Amino acid sequence: MSFRAHRAMAVAWKEALDLKKNPGLLASMLALPAALVLVPVGIIWSYVHSPDDVSLRTIALYYDPSLPLHASAARFLVEKLLADWFGLFLLMPVFTPILISSQSVAGEKERRTLEPLLAAPLGPAELVAGKSLAAVVPAVAISWLAFGLFVVLVDAVAWPLVDGPVLPNAMWLFGVGVVAPLFAFLGNGIAVLVSARVGESRLAQQLSALVVLPLMGLVGAQLAGWIRAGTGYYALQGAVVLVLDILLVAASVRLFDRERLVSRWV
Amino acid sequence: MRRIEVRGLSKRFGGRTAVEDLDFEVGEGEVFGLLGPNGAGKTTTVRMLTGLLRPTSGGATVCGVSVDGDGELLRQRVGLLTEQPGLYDRLTTRENLRFFLKLHHRDTAPAWEEARGWMERFGLGGRENEPCGALSKGMRQKLALVRALLHRPEVLFLDEPTSGLDPEAARTVRDAVAELAGEGRTIVLCSHNMSEVERLCGRVAVVKGRLLAVGTVPELRRQSGAVELQVQGAAANAGLALDRALPGCPWSADGHRLRVTLREGVEIPDVVAALVQTGVRIHAAVPAQRALEDVYLELTRAGAEP
Repeated sequence: MSFRAHRAMAVAWKEALDLKKNPGLLASMLALPAALVLVPVGIIWSYVHSPDDVSLRTIALYYDPSLPLHASAARFLVEKLLADWFGLFLLMPVFTPILISSQSVAGEKERRTLEPLLAAPLGPAELVAGKSLAAVVPAVAISWLAFGLFVVLVDAVAWPLVDGPVLPNAMWLFGVGVVAPLFAFLGNGIAVLVSARVGESRLAQQLSALVVLPLMGLVGAQLAGWIRAGTGYYALQGAVVLVLDILLVAASVRLFDRERLVSRWV
Repeated sequence: MRRIEVRGLSKRFGGRTAVEDLDFEVGEGEVFGLLGPNGAGKTTTVRMLTGLLRPTSGGATVCGVSVDGDGELLRQRVGLLTEQPGLYDRLTTRENLRFFLKLHHRDTAPAWEEARGWMERFGLGGRENEPCGALSKGMRQKLALVRALLHRPEVLFLDEPTSGLDPEAARTVRDAVAELAGEGRTIVLCSHNMSEVERLCGRVAVVKGRLLAVGTVPELRRQSGAVELQVQGAAANAGLALDRALPGCPWSADGHRLRVTLREGVEIPDVVAALVQTGVRIHAAVPAQRALEDVYLELTRAGAEP
């Protein structure tokens, strides 16, 4: 069956309408970005509020024992936080498509809408593409909007300390512009794959969400000082995720075989 | 002209046989009933004929398209109404229909007007902007039927189309089915409602894993193993004469009417010959007819699963 873009777009159109009318899901989609934007702003505010606190220097020296005596520990920690926080910020593009795709894919089974859908001239690749588009686009859009808000708030709070804007910098621009969309595809791919197997949206969401554990582990390693985060490090992450994305798309299309879905789900 | 041709159609799921060796044909403009108890393989058969499942062996063509061939072409030609309407509750009726129009590449003003016409006809006029979740069960079913008609399918598969509908709505759907058949569409109707099947279907297949019987409703009703005779004189006397000439065939008499149940190895001409031999004058002999429901129950109780 040949791929027809209009059918994938029709699926994406329907999913977008459905999402717009699901306030519960919209609220849960906004909760994580709010936390990921406000928490670091609060931490930066605490650095700016008491920049001469001796404990800040102690922490800074843990991360960089060669920090010069005249250098501001608070400024060092702001920059360190921003470099490390991007690892956590990536949870947003990963997690948002998981919320959407788990509902939209496994939800078809729960709502018993799958059979009429499969009886329409719609191929597995079109179905996966439409559903993925409807999950990845909002995830990337939310990430970019959250980044915009993050830049404004961080600069506003950090300005008295650094006397200029700290964001956007090259690492964040590259990360949000390139790496975040790749992570959005990863979250979506995993959710689609898991949903196609378990067929229950809540379980699909819970299982797919486990993907954040390795990410949390990496951020933990950064905070422990074992990994030094920077543009190169995030570029490497992006490259690994790109390979995973390609494998997940191929696996999803295979799993969305009509016979398999009807036999298992309907 | 044959719209559906089924030859040796079988489907196995692992070690379990759901459908075995089905053979039947359905013509243009025909309403064909598919009867069978739950788990008899009706839905599996419909799924194979709509390209949702691949046959394990045998095959079928619908509108000349093989069911394991070009799935896209097949799905453009057939419409399916599932037992559960399968609508998107948060979307309005218009959005639900527009989604399927888009999938069929028919999201145009004339196609929407056609859909609205169906909605009007099914009593859904003015409800275009209501979320489907707010519709009653009957309305949802009717909307699902409109959805199945959006792409003008040549063959419609209807699984329990009047299930859950009030009598008026059920009649609207039945009238629509008859009208669609009148327009030349072929309709395959899965139903447990015998009176509906008798009213709508030209021919019926009774399945229970395999094909137990196929024919017109009168043909099936005649498969009763009994004969009704109009005799001269008291039918009771004819019955007593039959006991002597052809023992073992239970009978009942009512005035001039004699009803004889055929025992194994005995056919209607044997009964007629035996009675004539005893001097009974016969004016008419016709196979006894039973309610379709009785025939259905007898067939499905006797029909072992494969």
